[in-house]
This record gives sequence, C-alpha cells and structure tokens, in this order.
Amino acid sequence: MAAFTYAPAIVLLPFVSFLVALFAGDRMPKGGALAGITATGGSLLLSIWVALTVAGGDVHNEILYQWTTSVETLQLNFGLLLDPLSALMLLIVCLISFLVHIFSLGYMNDEGETGLPRYYAGLGLFTASMLGFVVANNLLMAFMFFELVGLCSYLLIGFWFRDDGPPSAAKKAFLVTRFGDYFFLIGVVGIFATFGTGLFAPITQGGEVVAESFPMLAEHAIVDGETAGIAMLETVGMGPQQWFTVLGLLVLGGVVGKSAQFPLHTWLPDAMEGPTPVSALIHAATMVAAGVYLVARMYGFYALSPTALAVIALIGGFTALFAATMGLVKQEIKQVLAYSTISQYGYMMLALGSGGYIAAVFHLTTHAVFKALLFLGAGSVIIAMHHNENMWDMGGLKDRMPVTYWTFLAGSLALAGIVPFAGFWSKDEVLYEALIHGFGTEGGLGTAYLIAYAMGLLAVFFTGFYTFRMVYLTFHGDARSDTARDPEPVRWNVKGPLTVLGILATTIGFINMAPVAKLTGAEIDFLHKWLNGPENGGWPAALNTGLHHYEGLLHDVSHVVKGYPLGETPTLLASAGVSLGLALAGVLVARTLYAGADPVEHTDKLGGLKTLLMHNYYQDEYQVWLATGVTYPLARVMNKFDQGVVDGVVNGISSVSLFGGSRIRRIQSGVVSNYATLLTLGLVLLLAAFGIMGGWF
Amino acid sequence: MIPAETYLLLSAAIFCIGLFGILTRRNALIFLMSVELMLNAANINLVAFSLQHGNLTGQVFSLFTMALAAAEVAIGIGIILVLYRNFTDVDVTKATTMRW
Amino acid sequence: MWVAALLLVTLLGTGLVFLSPDRYAGKLAAAISAVPALGSIYMYWVYLTQYGGTGNALLSPADIAFGQQLPWITLGELEVSYYVGLDGISMPLLALTTVLTTLAIVSAWTPIDERQSQFYGLMLFMEVSLIGVFSALDFFLWFVFWEGVLIPMYLLIGIWGGPRRKYAAIKFFVYTNVASLIMFAGLFALVFSTDLTSLSLPAMAEAFRTASGLPTIAGMNLMTISFIMMFFGFAVKVPVFPLHTWLPDAHVEAPTPVSVMLAGVLLKMGTYALLRFNFTMLADTARQLAVPLAIIGVVSVIYGAMLALAQRDLKRIVAYSSISSMGYVILGLVAFTPYGMGGATFQMIAHGLISGLMFMCVGVIYNTTHTRMVGDMSGLADRMPWTVGIFVAAAFGYMGLPLMAGFAGEYFIFQGSFNAPTLGGAAPVLTSLAMFGIVIVAGYLLWAMQRTLFGAFSLETDYEVSPAAFHDVAPLAVLLLLVIALGVAPDLSFAMIQDSISPVLEIGGGA
Repeated sequence: MAAFTYAPAIVLLPFVSFLVALFAGDRMPKGGALAGITATGGSLLLSIWVALTVAGGDVHNEILYQWTTSVETLQLNFGLLLDPLSALMLLIVCLISFLVHIFSLGYMNDEGETGLPRYYAGLGLFTASMLGFVVANNLLMAFMFFELVGLCSYLLIGFWFRDDGPPSAAKKAFLVTRFGDYFFLIGVVGIFATFGTGLFAPITQGGEVVAESFPMLAEHAIVDGETAGIAMLETVGMGPQQWFTVLGLLVLGGVVGKSAQFPLHTWLPDAMEGPTPVSALIHAATMVAAGVYLVARMYGFYALSPTALAVIALIGGFTALFAATMGLVKQEIKQVLAYSTISQYGYMMLALGSGGYIAAVFHLTTHAVFKALLFLGAGSVIIAMHHNENMWDMGGLKDRMPVTYWTFLAGSLALAGIVPFAGFWSKDEVLYEALIHGFGTEGGLGTAYLIAYAMGLLAVFFTGFYTFRMVYLTFHGDARSDTARDPEPVRWNVKGPLTVLGILATTIGFINMAPVAKLTGAEIDFLHKWLNGPENGGWPAALNTGLHHYEGLLHDVSHVVKGYPLGETPTLLASAGVSLGLALAGVLVARTLYAGADPVEHTDKLGGLKTLLMHNYYQDEYQVWLATGVTYPLARVMNKFDQGVVDGVVNGISSVSLFGGSRIRRIQSGVVSNYATLLTLGLVLLLAAFGIMGGWF
Repeated sequence: MIPAETYLLLSAAIFCIGLFGILTRRNALIFLMSVELMLNAANINLVAFSLQHGNLTGQVFSLFTMALAAAEVAIGIGIILVLYRNFTDVDVTKATTMRW
Repeated sequence: MWVAALLLVTLLGTGLVFLSPDRYAGKLAAAISAVPALGSIYMYWVYLTQYGGTGNALLSPADIAFGQQLPWITLGELEVSYYVGLDGISMPLLALTTVLTTLAIVSAWTPIDERQSQFYGLMLFMEVSLIGVFSALDFFLWFVFWEGVLIPMYLLIGIWGGPRRKYAAIKFFVYTNVASLIMFAGLFALVFSTDLTSLSLPAMAEAFRTASGLPTIAGMNLMTISFIMMFFGFAVKVPVFPLHTWLPDAHVEAPTPVSVMLAGVLLKMGTYALLRFNFTMLADTARQLAVPLAIIGVVSVIYGAMLALAQRDLKRIVAYSSISSMGYVILGLVAFTPYGMGGATFQMIAHGLISGLMFMCVGVIYNTTHTRMVGDMSGLADRMPWTVGIFVAAAFGYMGLPLMAGFAGEYFIFQGSFNAPTLGGAAPVLTSLAMFGIVIVAGYLLWAMQRTLFGAFSLETDYEVSPAAFHDVAPLAVLLLLVIALGVAPDLSFAMIQDSISPVLEIGGGA
C-alpha cells in the first residue's frame, strides 16, 4: 500500500523539524515554529491517509530496520505496526501536536519568550518520539521511544530553566517515571528472554506466519500448553500463567509511571511548571496516554491474566477517585486540570482492567480532545491574566473572552460527562463495562471490578463538582483583580485551535454511541466496528489485535463474563442514568456554591480534610522523604563506610607498611661494626639452619 | 703428607681472628687488616683444596684473590683518608651519617 | 605491519613532542596523534568490510587480522616473540583508544599551561602503551605494555594533578602494581604447571584449556586459585567493589584530559584482560564461579551508584558512576551468552565514549568556573548554552537513554544475563537488581544538573563565565556524535564483537 510506504515519514518529519529548529531556529522567522507546523501538518495528512487505508481493511506489520543482526537467536528490530488502534492514535497525536504548535505561536512567540528554537526543537522531538512509540511493532522499540518521550518531557517541563521550579519539576517527572520504567525494562527484558520476541502482532507473508508475536506465544502456552520452547519458565520455576502475570505487572510499572497512576502520579501536577501548550500536548493528550496505549497495544497479553486485570482495574478505579478528591480544593486552574488528568487516566485503566477495551480507547480519544481543549483554554486564560494562574484572581472572564469561554465550557461539559458531550459517552461506557463484568465475573476478579466501579462512580460526582467550580470561578461572577477586569486579548492563533477542539469535544462522542446503538439497533458504534474489524478473516485474523480476539481471551482464559443484574436494557439505562445523575449533581453543587457574583472559599469548611487534600494526601512528602530522608542519608552513610572502612583498609595497609619501615630502618644505624655483627649473626644462623636441615648434628 | 684438616683448622683460626678484629676494633686501619686476614684465610682454603684434589684452579683463584685484595686495600686506604678528612678520626663508629 | 606502524609513529611522535617547544607542543601532539587515530579508523573500516566472520584471536590464530609475529627472545624453554594482531574484540578498543587520545589532547589545550611538551609527550607515550595492550598477542610483550601504561599515568597525575596529586598518584601506582604482581603470580603458576613452549596468548589459551592433572592446594584446584588471583589483579583495574578506592582519588586529582583517558580507556584494560585471560583461557572455571562473580558485579553497580549519590564534586560523581557502569560489564561477562558477553564488550566501548564525554564536559565547565563543586555554581545554562546542551545529552547518555550507546550496552547485558545458564535461577534476580542502577544514576545526574546547570546564574568563584572556545566544544560534539551513532546502529561494533565472542561461548560448557 502506498500509504504504508510513506508511513515512516510520519515519524521522520517531526524529527527533521527538531533538527531544523535546533540548528537553524534562531535564523528562521518565528523561531522554528513554521518548521514544526509544516512537519506536524504533513504528519497529520499522512496519518489521515494511513487511517483511510486502514479503513479499507489493510494493515501493515513490517520490520524496517534491524538494530542488531548478529545474534541469530534473538534479533532486535525497529518496525511498523499499522492497525486500527495505532492509526487512531496517530491521528490523535498528529492533530493535537499540530494544534499545539499553532497555539504556541500565540502562547510563546506573541508573549516574547526567548529560547524559542529550543522550545520548538523539543516539541518536534517529542512528536517524533511519541509517533515512533505509537507505530512501534515490538516492545523494545516501544520502550525506547517511551524513554525518549520522557526525555522530551524533561526538556520541555524545564523549559524555563532560569527559575527554580521548572528544573526541579522536570527532574521529578523524569525520576518518578524512570522508577516506573525500571520495572518496565525488567518486563521488556523478561518478555524477550521468555518468548524470544517482542512483537505485538505476528508478521505474516502470504498468509503464513513468519514471526509469531509474544501475546500469541503466551496464549499458546496457556491455552494449548505449548511451553516446551520457553526455557525461562524452568529458570524461575513458575507456571506459564503465573510468570506471564509477573511479566505483565512489571510492564505495568512503566504504565503506572507514564500514565501518572497511583502511587507514581506525583510528578504530573508538578509538571504544570512547563509552558501550557506543553502541558496540553504532553501531560494531557499524548505522553500520559502512552501508558494506557501500551496496555491496549498488548491487550492480548494482559487478557490472559486475571490477576493483572484486577490490579489494573483497582489501580485505575482508585486513582480516578483519589485524584478527583485532590482536584476539589486546588486554586490554580492548571492544578485542577492536572488532577483531573490523573483521574481520567484512572478511568481508562479501570476500563482496560475490567475488559472494556473499546471503552478505554474511546475514552482515550475523547479525553485527548477535551483535555487538550481545556489546557489550551486555560492557556488562553493565562495569557489574558498575564501568567497569573490563581482562579481566585479571575472571575467574569466570560464576557471579555467569549471564544475561550464557550469552547472551555464545551470541554468542561465533556469532562464532567454531561450528555451529549464527548466525555459522557466514553465515561458511561467505561463504567458500564466495569459494572456488567463485575456482576458477571465469578470470584475475586468480579469483586475487584465492583469495588473499582464504585470508586469510579463516586469520582463522577467529584469530577462534575471540581470542573464547574473551575468554570464558575474563572469565567463567572465579578472580576476579582485588575488583570481580570482588563485581560490581554488573544489572537487567531489561540482562538483557532480552541474552536477546532471545541467542535470536536462536542461531537467526537458520536463516533461510538453504544447505548443509543443498543437501544435503537442503529449501527452507529463506529469505533467498535473500527477496532473489531470483520468478524471472520481480514486484519484481525492476521494480527490477532482485534476486539473479537481479546473478548475471546477474556472470556475463555480470565473468565470475565458479562452479567446484567436488571436485564440488559434496564442495566444499560440505569448505569447511564446513575452516572449522568451524579455528574449533574456535582455540577449543581458547584453552581450553588460558586455561581454567585462574589463566591467564597467553601472548602474551608472541610477543615483538616482540606489541609490533607491541599497537601495531596502527603504523597509528595513521603516520596520526597524517601529520596532525601532515606536514600540520600543512606548514600552518605555508605560514603562514610567507603571512606572509612574500604579506603581505610587500603590506607591502613599503607600505614602499617610505613610504620613497619620506619621501625625496621633503625637497623641501618650507620655503625660499620653493627653491620658486621649482623652479617656474622646471619651467617651463623644460616649455617645452623643448614646444619639442622642437612642433619649435620 | 699433612692432612687437609690441618690447613682447614689454620684457615678457620685465621678467619676467626679477622672476624674478631672486625667485631671488636674501632680503628679503620685495623679493620682493613682484619679483612685482609679473612681474605687470606679463604686463600689458604683454596690452596689446600687445590693440593688435595691435584687441581690448579684453586691456586689460580688464590692468585686472583690476592690481586683483588691489593686493589681493595688501595680503595680502602683511600676511603680511610677521606674518612679522616671529614671526621678528623679513623674511628669507624663515629662516622654514622649514612643511616636512616 | 599496520599495528607496528601505529606503534612506531606514535613512539617517534612521543620523542618529537618531548623535544618541541611548549608553544607548539599541544598542536603538534594533536597532529601526531591524529595519525594513529586515522590509521585505526581506516583499519576499523577495512576490518568491518573485509574481515566479516573473523573469529577470536586467542582461539583461532589463523583468523587474526593485521597479525605479525617476529621471534624475539628465548627464556629457558619459553619462546617470546613480538606478536601482535587484532580481532573483533580488540579492534573497537584500539579505535576507541586512538580517537579518545586525540580528543583528550585537544581538550588539554585550555587547561594545561605548564610543562606542555612533557605533558603531551607523556600522553603520546601512554597511547603507545595502550595500543600495545590491545594488540599484543604475546604475554611478555603484553605485560611490558600493560605495565608501561602505569608510568605515564603516574607522572601525569603526580605532576599536573590537583592539591593531593602525590597521594593519588602513589596510591594509583602502588595499588595497580600490587594487583599486577598477584595476577602475574597466578598466571605463572599455571604457566609452569603446563608444558608451554611459547608465551603467546593463543598457545596459553590452548594449554590452559587442555590442562589436566593440575595440583591441588588446600583443597582448591590450581586452576581455581590462579583464576581468583588473576581476577583480583584485573579487577583492581576495572575496578570492582571493594578494590575501587584508588579510582575516585585518581580521578579527582588528575587533570581532565588524563581523567578522560583513565575512565575512557584504562578501566577497559581491566575488563579486556578479564575477557582475554579469565573468561577465555579459563572459561570453565569462570562458568563455575559465575554466581559469586555476578554478585560482585551487581554489588559494584549498586554500591558505585549509591556513592555517586553522596558526592558533591562533579568529577567524583562521574568517577563513582564509572564503578557502577563497569559492574554491568562483569555481570555481562559471567553470563556467557551472546548478548551478555557481547554486550559487556560493547559496554566497554560505550562507557569509554560516554565517560570520556562526561569528564570532558566537567572539564570545560571547570576551565571557566574553576570549581567542580555542586552548590558552588548554578544556572550555567544561561552562560554556556552549547556546552550545557552537550552536558545534558551526555548525562542522559549515561543514564541509558535509548538510541545512545549506553542504552545499547546495558540493554544487551541485561538481555544476556536475564536467563543466563551459568547463573541458573539467580539470573533474573541478579539482573533485576543490577538494573536498579539505572534509577539511581538518573537520580544523581539529574540532581547534579538541576543544581549546577539550571536556576538563576550564580558562581562562588570570581571568574568571568562565557561560552567555551570552539576547540573545547568540538571534541565534545565529536564524542556525542559517536555515542549517538553507536546507539542507533550498534552493529557497527556489535557485529564484529559478536564474531569474536561466539568462539568463546562455544568452548567449555557449550553455547
């Protein structure tokens, strides 16, 4: 397919823009922005072409470049896997990146920032790395680009390196995600050692499988008992399912780090120190999505392990609730959005864990759009407010910046999950899947799903509340500061991306209105069809990455079963009704408390709980304590040990030699007679010794 | 023929006298003389064994040693002269500057 | 002939530089050292394109590339010859040595301002010895070069070093010399218990492999005793815990270009010798002792990294992290798998480039600020953007950023040791523990960068900070490009390494 021939250019174009911006950015107009816009625009067009080709039923899985060829038993490669999932993700990343580049013209160039080539180079490298991660056809390549994405995040969070906050936040972001990536790396190495391949999907030539994928090998091992070729099982002394669960959980470490799930979520709120367009691109729409995308990418592997599924669902549900509560009391607009991001990724994890593959991808898509919109909207507000982010200094911006207000409102409604905005459809599907699988599945897994569902449901209320608390404080009421009374106007390059995203946030939910489809029988669950593919044959049969295959695995291996406590349709309606009701309740409470002309800080009534929430449950404190209160003192003690004991022994040996020398040298008295005496004595002793040994006596 | 043991006894006696001189006397010249005694003790040994075995190598060796002793005396007396110039004495226990 | 030409040109250059006036010494030395550098790059290219499939120099002498053997002396029954040659293991190390020497000499132009002709002369003399170490195939010749490296190093640290240079230089010299003695004793115990007629390394490999009926001392086979003594001797050079304490002192006191050579090449002598002697000649013993050796490697990784965390001196940080990085090499070697051993050799090259780069970066910063202490400076990114940019890139390379050489080396080692047959059930556990090094290394490097490079500009010392001169930054850029090239296409070295490693894997316990 021609589109697939040019697909590598999707990744390479932004990389070229990185080089151009880095080395020639300061000689170009707009500091390299145009290179970035051209490159991401080009990538976007190519992605659309790829998506259209994939829609025609073609998929692509090919090795492009052999990283190492010399070890025949295990070759490490770079390759492209273009199937509906990656084509969708390519579209999302290219679109958001393109819009963020345009928005940056308003946020960075128009604000007279210095160091723009560095900024645009960072954006270009980030886009290239993220796209490389998306198209990766094996786990090692995914890991490599995953790490590069982390590097770009470091560079961009720390963009304003002259201040103290951003470098510190950048360090924290890289370190915390690195901690997760440590487990991921063990997982990667383990999977390669176990299966001898890291392919996500089998490579076929003329219908014949020439290289099998690791999820398929794992499936054969568990389902068909083909464990003969897997030497690793003997090394670790575990059964296949047990060991694959361990591997899956290790990879999950990286996911938890990058997707900011509990307990490695602490870096994300700090990452808001970076420029706002970066927050929109990296810390909301794309990089954070990498973790969730990875789970979806190797879903065929996770579907084999009920334990891993339960862990994913519980982490997701807990994070959704946990982060939402912290978002309740924040004062900076970007902080609220940061915690909502963590919370929303919790939902995606909840969906993946509870067998809602479509729901997770759906929520990933809608969230990318509405969260990018909200961040860019916040960026617009921040421009207007001269970089004051405190919502208590805002108010009344509704009339002064209508485009921002209406688009931000669309994004907020989507985030809160109000019908018919995008978030409603996806979040409802997430919760619905968790609910029915929770009721249907036997044993601990079902219980885990129900607990996770309950936490997710409760978080819906909080989401509605903090979202509209933010909207009311920012845009409604009276202006509470001089800058809010006379905000700086924003130009087309800010309004344009906001409008595009605003329209999408309103409408993108229509790609998969599963409840409506079920009720009316109309075939409008397009995303479902997109990811499911043809029922027989076609790409799902070749790649085994289709929904149908995953559902089979969930049902047969992990025994995830659907159950309807009230019958199918009433359950569907009840689930949607409950979550919508809770969301509306949250919005109404926020309206009651904060919609007035001059709102007051009601959260003070929470007392000690507020302090706890403001301090984020002391999560940061304990992690900082782990670093500076445990690890660093331990290092100091080890340093003392090294200097004192290890080096002490070395110096001790030299001291003993020196001391011994200084004593023995006293034989060298300078008196010739003494030397003669010693000589004589030595001779006599030697003679005596020889005599005794020779038996002369 | 006088047995070899007699020569060896004589040699040992002379050697011990030389050794005794080195260990007890302080005058550098006496030192030198004692060394000569010890060398000559070795010479007696060499000649005695040469006679015993009927092999001339030992006698050649003793001649060689005598030449060596002559050279040694020349250097030794030179050293003693320098010693005297530096310390105004030929007492070997006084010249102890070459120590640790 | 090629190796002899390299040795000869560099040796003649050494004399020439010693005699040249100080003003021209630096430029002259750079020009002279460029000759072996270009020569070895040409040899590398010839090797890469023409010697595909060349085996191990010790195990299949017929396959030796650029080989040359001339009779030299006879010691009793032992024949000693001038015997040099290269294979896929020594070729990259030779190229690393010559290239790094040239770059180190260029980077010395700014900091070295007294006794220049002697400094550069000694640098070139060290290069001669290092070329010899990596190309000699006769033990006697090899040992002469091996010890020959110590002399210029001792003088370079002792004359041009920092305040405690004498202590550091003597410590370095005595420590490594004692280690050499023990190694020598261990090796010769074996030489005398087998009926060797030649001291050439291939002959020794053959004799040790087929040796039987060796005496037993205190319940241990002589082979095991010799292995331990030789491991001890070489491990000091690597260095591994607990034999490492000379390294931080030597690095801190040595002038930067010397640190570059010390970290970049001298440490690799230890692992190179381990690979040649312990792991090729005594492969069976190495397999038996794999688990304890791997534990030593893992402890070095974690211990070095933790100590780096406690340091304030940038050079000490890099020095301790070298201990950590070299620990990976030990882990890879004991694995006896293609990725393990090949990765360990690759890591020698990668670490040589990256640690050299790190030391040069620290040196460039020191040249302008005259301090290396974290906390004495901040916000340097404001004043020297390109230097800091390369510093950041180098630091990420050290942390194992993918598509840079460090990641490739470390990943290969992990991949090779995770299911290593020699380590059995301990393999995944030990590998996972060693991997934790990548988290700690990120911790201390990020911390140091945040404190020194970012934030508002401030400096404790009274020096004007301005961007570094072109000839200071150029070596950094060259090294960075090499690091990236090897990270993107590891097969540039890994393929030839693999060709020479696979015969090692086949002997003894099988592949």
